[in-house]
Amino acid sequence: MDALIVIFLSGLISLFIAFAKKPVLVLLTSTVGLLIAIALFIAQWNNPVTLFSYEGLEFTNTALLYSIAASIFALFSILIGYNSYKKQPEHTGEYIGLLMFSLVGAVCMLAFTDMFMFFLGLEILSLPIYVLAGTNKKDLRSSEASLKYFLMGAFATGVLLFGIAWTYGATGTFKIQEIGDFIYNNQNTGIAHSSILYVGVLLIMASFLFKVGAAPFHFWSPDVYEGSPNEVTGFMAAVVKLGAFGAFMKIFGIAFPDLHAFWAPALVIVALITIFLGNLSALNQIHFKRLLAYSSITHVGYALLAVLTLSSNSIENLWIYLFGYGFSIIALVAIAKLLNDDEDKISAFKGLAKRNPFLATVAVLALLSLAGVPPLIGFFGKYLVFADAFTQYPLIVIIALANSGIGIYYYLKTVINIFQKEEIEESKIEVPAIHIVVLSICAIAILVGGLVLSQYKLL
Amino acid sequence: MVLATVFESGLSMEYYLILSSILFVIGVVGVLTRKNAIILLMCVELMLNAVNLLLVAFSNYHGKADAQIFVFFIMVVAAAEATVGLSILVLMYRNARSVDIGLFNKLKG
Repeated sequence: MDALIVIFLSGLISLFIAFAKKPVLVLLTSTVGLLIAIALFIAQWNNPVTLFSYEGLEFTNTALLYSIAASIFALFSILIGYNSYKKQPEHTGEYIGLLMFSLVGAVCMLAFTDMFMFFLGLEILSLPIYVLAGTNKKDLRSSEASLKYFLMGAFATGVLLFGIAWTYGATGTFKIQEIGDFIYNNQNTGIAHSSILYVGVLLIMASFLFKVGAAPFHFWSPDVYEGSPNEVTGFMAAVVKLGAFGAFMKIFGIAFPDLHAFWAPALVIVALITIFLGNLSALNQIHFKRLLAYSSITHVGYALLAVLTLSSNSIENLWIYLFGYGFSIIALVAIAKLLNDDEDKISAFKGLAKRNPFLATVAVLALLSLAGVPPLIGFFGKYLVFADAFTQYPLIVIIALANSGIGIYYYLKTVINIFQKEEIEESKIEVPAIHIVVLSICAIAILVGGLVLSQYKLL
Repeated sequence: MVLATVFESGLSMEYYLILSSILFVIGVVGVLTRKNAIILLMCVELMLNAVNLLLVAFSNYHGKADAQIFVFFIMVVAAAEATVGLSILVLMYRNARSVDIGLFNKLKG
């Protein structure tokens, strides 16, 4: 709970310090705030704290684990924006402040115990990001991404609320634990299988699929990823996915596990379409961020398998998966930003191995981790999720594995670009010290994270 | 209290469910078919108000107040959302001189 206040306050202070017109000071405030918050999250481990008299927020170990990951990725997203703050110092305060407020929403979304806090968390998470997507005010593409994201997000919110209302009508409560108990106690009677409840479950599921960007609700995500500034893309891919999947897992694992037979078939179809659609669309991409967006759709499809399985290990497996995914994607958007290519073509990576071996190494590691090459963290995440799902859904896991094979093609295409010689000799790339630190941490996490995390049982 | 008397006078639950479903569907169809971004925003508001109606009706049905409190939260969030949405629309209008979503085709592929 303290951590939540620290994040909010450091966001607020960042807004005011911005009046001093020293971006470095704002950066320092937010970094210190986030580091304190992460330390406080770790200090709360094994010591569940509830917040508000009716226990709207509860920091269990699961919530803490996801919150720590979200805070780390938020910190990295702020740090890799360093170049833009130097270029446009006037809006640093608002930019960082909004990112911090968004993180507050993500933490609420991971620690909620009832639909109130979940809905509020979702909105606190989403509203700043609608604005952040349009940060490049003069750039039409950025405004377009912002508007598209806003309209789709507001629509998804409406659908979610309609679902919550029907669920409330059927069960008479907003607390997810009580909803779960209600369904468990009445599962042999018609009450737990009324069409009112089923409508609610389906609508809530549809809005989650919107938020995580699963097919057939994915159409906004490539546009928004491409149009937003790179740091915001990293934030959306890492933190928003963590928040949305954490909440997805929580609601469907606690409130609706006894309706698994009802919603699982729908989710199976969605997962399959998502995996195929993301992969096939990524094959022909020439824009790097679009490629990342379509690959993220595929990754959402894989992650949905963990939601489908709902075993005792699923939450932790999903966390490792998203943790590894976040490091890779933040490293890649940071590198793409340093390449300084407005067109955002994959061919901008040409000759990177010559121009800057450090960036090339990190990029290759991140891409291979996304492709799922052992012993990188992406492999472990995928392995754990797939192995867990295999007993229940063997056929789907085999299809997903085949799709991982397709995925390797477009990741390796970028890797080949990195090692290719470029026709025109270009100057070396300047890498700020902050980027070196962030990218080194990402590289280390990608390299050894999977090996270390798979040794321990965290939850 | 007013709603309670209406219920007692014989207006059954189903009417509220049907009315709010119709409102919601009008909102959804509007979002999916209209081209003007401001009308899209209005349709989203209509969807949220359909939810409010549904929640109040269910709250009365269950005899609990918590859903009515939720309605206040939804109204506050809807106001915040409209603020952010309209400012994004202004930003868009400055850049494109239009709020017709059919013209937004800079991003595709």
